[in-house]
Amino acid sequence: MSSIDPLTLAVVRHKLLAVTEEVVETMVRTCFSPLLNQSRDLSAVVLDGDAQVVAQAERTPIHMGAMPFAVRAMAKDFADDIAPDDVLMANDPYWGGSHLPDITLAKPVFRDGVLCFWVAIRAHQSDTGGISAGGYSPSAREIWHEGIRIPPVKLVKKGCVHEDWLRLVCENTRKPEDTRGDLMAALASVDVGVERLGALLDRYGVAQIQNCSAAILDAGEAAMRAHIRRWKPGVYEAVARYDHDGVATERFPVPVTITVGDGEVEIDFRQVGDQVASYLNSPIANTSACVYIAFFYLCNDQQVQNEGSTRAIKILTRKGSVVDPVSPAPVTGSTTFAAAVIIESVLKAMQAAAPDAVVAGSARRFRYVIAGSEPEIGSYIYHYFSNKGGFGANNNEDGWINVGGFQNPGGTPSASIERVEATYPFQIEEYGITVESGGAGKQRGGAGGVFALRYRGSGSAALNIAGEGTVIAPFGANGGQDGDPHAIWIERGSERIDLTGRSNDVPIEPGDLIVHHSAGGGGCGDPKERTRALVERDVAYGYICEETARDMYGAE
Amino acid sequence: MRIGVDIGGTFTDLVCIDGTGVLHTAKTPSTPDDPSRGVMEALALLAETMSLALPDLLGATELFLHGSTVATNLVVERKGAPLGLITTQGFRDVIELRDGSKQNRYDIRSPFPQPLIRRPERLEVAERVNAHGGIETPLDEDAVRTAIAGLRDAGVEGLVVFFVNAHRNGAQECRVRELVEESDWAPFISLSHEVLSREGEYDRISTAAVNAYVGPGLGGYLERLAARLAESGLTAPVLVMQSTGGVLPLDHAVRHAVGSVTSGPAGGAMAGALFARLGEESHLVTYDMGGTSTDICLIEGGVPLERQETQLEEIKIAVSALDISALGAGGGSIAWIDPGGILDLGPHSAGAEPGPACYGRGGELPTLTDANLVLGLIAPDTFLGGRLALDRVLAARAVQRYVAEPLGLSVENAAQAVNALASARIAEGIRANTVRRGFDPREFTIFSFGGAGGLHAAAVALELEFPRAIVPREASVLSALGFLAADVRHDYQRAFGRRMLDLTTADLRELFATLEVEAREALAAEGFEPGQMRFERFADCRYVRQVYTVPVALPDFDKGDDIGWLTDGYEAEYSGLYQHLHERDAIVVDTCRLVAYGALPSLELPRGENSGSDPTAAKRGSRQVYFGEWLETPSFWFEDLTPGMRLDGPALIDSESTTVVLPPDIAAEVDPYGSLIIAKPGDGK
Repeated sequence: MSSIDPLTLAVVRHKLLAVTEEVVETMVRTCFSPLLNQSRDLSAVVLDGDAQVVAQAERTPIHMGAMPFAVRAMAKDFADDIAPDDVLMANDPYWGGSHLPDITLAKPVFRDGVLCFWVAIRAHQSDTGGISAGGYSPSAREIWHEGIRIPPVKLVKKGCVHEDWLRLVCENTRKPEDTRGDLMAALASVDVGVERLGALLDRYGVAQIQNCSAAILDAGEAAMRAHIRRWKPGVYEAVARYDHDGVATERFPVPVTITVGDGEVEIDFRQVGDQVASYLNSPIANTSACVYIAFFYLCNDQQVQNEGSTRAIKILTRKGSVVDPVSPAPVTGSTTFAAAVIIESVLKAMQAAAPDAVVAGSARRFRYVIAGSEPEIGSYIYHYFSNKGGFGANNNEDGWINVGGFQNPGGTPSASIERVEATYPFQIEEYGITVESGGAGKQRGGAGGVFALRYRGSGSAALNIAGEGTVIAPFGANGGQDGDPHAIWIERGSERIDLTGRSNDVPIEPGDLIVHHSAGGGGCGDPKERTRALVERDVAYGYICEETARDMYGAE
Repeated sequence: MRIGVDIGGTFTDLVCIDGTGVLHTAKTPSTPDDPSRGVMEALALLAETMSLALPDLLGATELFLHGSTVATNLVVERKGAPLGLITTQGFRDVIELRDGSKQNRYDIRSPFPQPLIRRPERLEVAERVNAHGGIETPLDEDAVRTAIAGLRDAGVEGLVVFFVNAHRNGAQECRVRELVEESDWAPFISLSHEVLSREGEYDRISTAAVNAYVGPGLGGYLERLAARLAESGLTAPVLVMQSTGGVLPLDHAVRHAVGSVTSGPAGGAMAGALFARLGEESHLVTYDMGGTSTDICLIEGGVPLERQETQLEEIKIAVSALDISALGAGGGSIAWIDPGGILDLGPHSAGAEPGPACYGRGGELPTLTDANLVLGLIAPDTFLGGRLALDRVLAARAVQRYVAEPLGLSVENAAQAVNALASARIAEGIRANTVRRGFDPREFTIFSFGGAGGLHAAAVALELEFPRAIVPREASVLSALGFLAADVRHDYQRAFGRRMLDLTTADLRELFATLEVEAREALAAEGFEPGQMRFERFADCRYVRQVYTVPVALPDFDKGDDIGWLTDGYEAEYSGLYQHLHERDAIVVDTCRLVAYGALPSLELPRGENSGSDPTAAKRGSRQVYFGEWLETPSFWFEDLTPGMRLDGPALIDSESTTVVLPPDIAAEVDPYGSLIIAKPGDGK
C-alpha cells in the first residue's frame, strides 16, 4: 500500500471510470427499450473483490449506493461457487435489490484463481410483470403483486447462458422480447467491462490495481471525513413525512436522529414506524442509497462518490420498518416516492449541523397516466412526465425550475407538448410557471409550473394518478419558506373536481381540462435578507407580487 | 488565390493558398474590442510576407472564407441583443421551463441557466394551430400590434416569434413578421418554423432565440469587416464558416446566425477531413488540444460525423453541427490534489489570465503547460514564436509546491505524472467517442493539432494502440486551413411526422423536389452553375415510441413506389448503431432534410519531393528532457523538415506554436504534405 505510485494511482482512477463509461455506452447502444436507450435509466460500476464500488458511471443517483448490496448478496449466496465467466443476476429487494424493475447483472473478474473485481450493471426494465404494466401499482399489497422476483441466479455459468432461465424471466414480463433484448445487451456490456478491466490488470498487474482501488476507497473515505469535520458536532433530529402511507394513514412520519461526530455520522432511523401495506416501503439497499445521495449533495464533491466515503456514514434501522421492510412488503415506490422522503429527512436534520451546505426541499415525483382508446389510434396509454416542479434553493443560488426532485434531478427529459398533441387526443392549453409557487427565501425556491391538458377524445378515458407531495410541501431551509405543494384537479364546465396524488380510475370526459400545478422548491435563508435587486427583478418578472415583496421580503 | 481567416480567443490565424499552390500563413493577436481590426492586421502581415501591397493581395483573392468566435462569445458572455417574444397564449414560459433535464445530476448548486429572453418581454397573443396544421384560433392581430409596440418601446432588438405547432403551419408566424414590417420598427426577426422546421417546442424556441440573440451582433461585426475588406480592395464575397463545416455568404450567415455559434472547432475538423481524403484514411479522429479543452471529432470516409443538437451552457441549439465533443483538459488545465489525496487535472483552467505559472503573470497554480515545461518538452524561448518567454523556475516552483510535495515526489516525477494523466484522459476521451458511435478505436488514425496536441500525440497513440498518428505541419493555423477546404452549404428541413407504412416513394420525392427548388434558387443566386450543385437527402426516422431519430441517407429516388427501400435503410442504420430492431413497432419519418452544396474549387495541398531520410538539415540543437531519466534530446525545426526525413525518438520537433514529442523507441516520418507521421514501435518503415 505504502509503495503506491501517485502517477499510476491518478491514471488508474480515470481508467477505472472509463471502464464504467464504456459499459454504459455499450448498453445504451445495444439495449432494446426506449426507457433505457433514450432516458438512460441505467448505471454501471466496478467493484473490488469485497464488492465495494471503486468506480461508477454517473447516471442514476439512486442506483449507485444500492448496487453493492445486490452484488454482495450474490457473492454471499454463491460463496465459493463463483467461477470465471459466470454472470449473476438478481432483482429481489429482499436479496439486496431496490425494486423489481431494476435488474442487476454482475460478472466476476478472476486472476490466479482469486476473485479480485466485479463489473456490474443495473438497468430499469420497462416491465417485470405484476398487476400493472410498468410495475408501479398503488394497489399492490405484497411483493408478488409487483412482478417476478429474481433472487441471485447464475444467468451465465462458465460462459454458457442459461437459456431456460432467460426464458422463464422474460415470459414473466409483458414485453418478453424487449426484456430479452435488454438482458442480452446487459450481458454484452458487462463482458466489455470485464475485457477492458482485464486489459488494465494485465498492463499494471493485479496487485497494483488492487492497491489503487484500495487507495481510491481510502481517498473517498478521507474526503468524506474531512467534510464531516467541517460540520457542527451534535445530535440532530428531524421528521419528513409521506403524504399518506398509501392505505390508511395521512402524513406518515419518517423520523431520523443524526449524530455528527468526529469525522463520522450516524443516521438512526430506528424510530420509523412499521412497514406499510402499500408500495412505499424502502428496502435497506435503497434507504442506504438515499442517505448517501443526501450526503453527496451536502458535500458537492465528485471525489467522495465511491463506497469508501460510506465508511464514515453509519445507518441504523429496525427490521420490519418502512425503511427496512421484510418480505412480503411491496416496494416499487422505493426509488422515487420513498427516496424523496428519506433524502428530505436527512437534509432537514443536517440543516442545523451544516447550514452552509444544506439544500431546501424539492418537488416530489408526481405523474399520471391517461388510458383510453380512439378509433384512429387504437388503445393508448399516455405517461405524463412533464411539469416536474421546482428544486430547493441553497445558500448561494435560487432553486432550478422544472427539474423535479431529489431522487433524480433533471434526469429524464420531458416529452414535447407538440409530440403529445400529435400522438394523443389532447390539446395542451397552458404550460407555464406558477407565480409565487417557489418558497420565499434569501435564495428563492425554484418555481413550480402549471400544465393544463384538454381531453379531446371521442369517449371517456381513465385517469390514474401516482404522485407524492399534494399534502406535504417542499421544506424551507435556514429560515426560508416552504414551497407550494402539488395540486391537481379537473375542470368540467363550471365544475371543479379536486384530486389527490392517489386518485385512481377517475373517468374523464371529452372537454375536461386536467390542471396540474407542480410543487415549488423550498426557499433557503431569511427572505428579508434577499438582495433588493433580486426582489425587484422577481416582481418585474412576475415571480412574486408586490404584496409579497413588501410583506415577506420587506421591500419598501 | 484563396484566404481563410480564423479568429480565436487569443490569435487570429490566416492561411492563404496562392495561384501556384503554395501555402502562406500569418498569425497575429486577436483584438476582442473589434475583431475585424485583428483580421486587417493579419492581412497586412500576410501581404508583407508575400511582398504584395494589400489591395493587390485582396484584389487577386477569389475566395475569402472566415470564421470567428463572435457569435459564440455573445452567448457565453451573455452579451447578445435584448430579445422579445411573441408567442401562443399559455406558452410564454416554455423557454424557461426548458425540457426538464439537467446535465450534471449531482451538481445541485450551479446557477439556474437564465433564459435568453427576459420574462417581461415574453408576450402572449391569442392564436392556435393544431398538431395537424389546422388553425384552431386565428391570430389576434390587434394583440400582435400592441405587443409590437410594447416590445419596441422596451428597447428590444431581436424579436422571436414562436407559435405552438408552427412547424405544421407557419402562416401565423409569418403574419407577425408582416405586421412588424407594416410598423415603423425593424428588429432582427427569428420565426421558429424558419429557423428550425421540426417538431419540439423547446428545441424550436431555444434555437430561434439563440439566432435572434446573436444575429444583430454578428451582423454588425460582419458588415464592418466586409466594409473594411472592400475598402482595401476585396471584390470576392465573404463566406462565413458554419457549425456544419460548410460556409454561407454573409447576408445568409447573418439571417442564420445560430449556425455560427458552434462553428469554432469546425475548421479543425474540416482540415482533418481534408487530410483524411489526401491520406486515404478511412477512419480518422481529430483531437485539438488548446488552452482549456481538447476537441475530439470522428471522421469516417473523409466526412466528419454530424449531430442534430448541441448544448452550450445548458442552452439547446438544435441545428446540424459537426459532432465535436470537448474534454476539459488543455495546456492551461490546473493540476491539483483532491481532498482524498489523489492527483487530478482540470476541469479548472488558468485561462489566458493569469495563465500558467510559467507565464509570470501572477498565476500560482501548476498547469499542464508548467509540467511540460519542467520536463523540458517545451522550449522556453521559442514558445509562441518567442513572443512569450516562459519561466521554468516559476513552473517548477508551482509543480513542487502543489503536486510534488503533497505526493512526496521529486519535481520531475510530479511533472511526469501530470503529463501522463493528460495523455490518459485524452486517450480515454477518444475511446469513449469511438465506442459511443459503435467503432473500435484501434481502427482509427489520430490527427493531432492545437498548441498542446503534439506534446501528447505519441503517448495518446500508444495508449490506444493506434496504427499511427499524424501531426500536420500547419498544426498552429489548422482551423483556417480547414476553411479553405469548405464548400457553400445550405441546410433545409421540413417536419414530416408520417408513418413509413403510409408512404410511397412519390410522397418523399415530391417533398424533396420542393426543397430542391428552394435550394437551387439560393445557390443560383450565389452564382453557382447547376454542375456545381450537389444535394444530400436525409430522412430522420424513429420508431413510434422513441424520442431520438436516426438519420437515413437517401442517395436517390430512382426506386419503385414501394417504400420498402427506406425501411431497409432505416433498419440498417438502426441496427448498425444499436445491434437490434423493433420489428413490430411502426417507423415514423420525423423530419426530411436536404443539404445543398455549392462546390468551391477543390483544394490541393502542395506535395514535396522525397529528399532522403536524413533529418540533419532540420536539426536545431538539443535540450535535456525527462523521460523517466534526463536525456539530452535533439530538437528539430518543423518547417525545415522535408518529405522522407525519418526521426527516431527521443526527439523534439519545435515550431512557433507547438512542439511534437517523440519518446524513446518511437519513430516518425515526414510525408509528402510535410506532416509528421508517428508510427508505433515496429511499424516504422
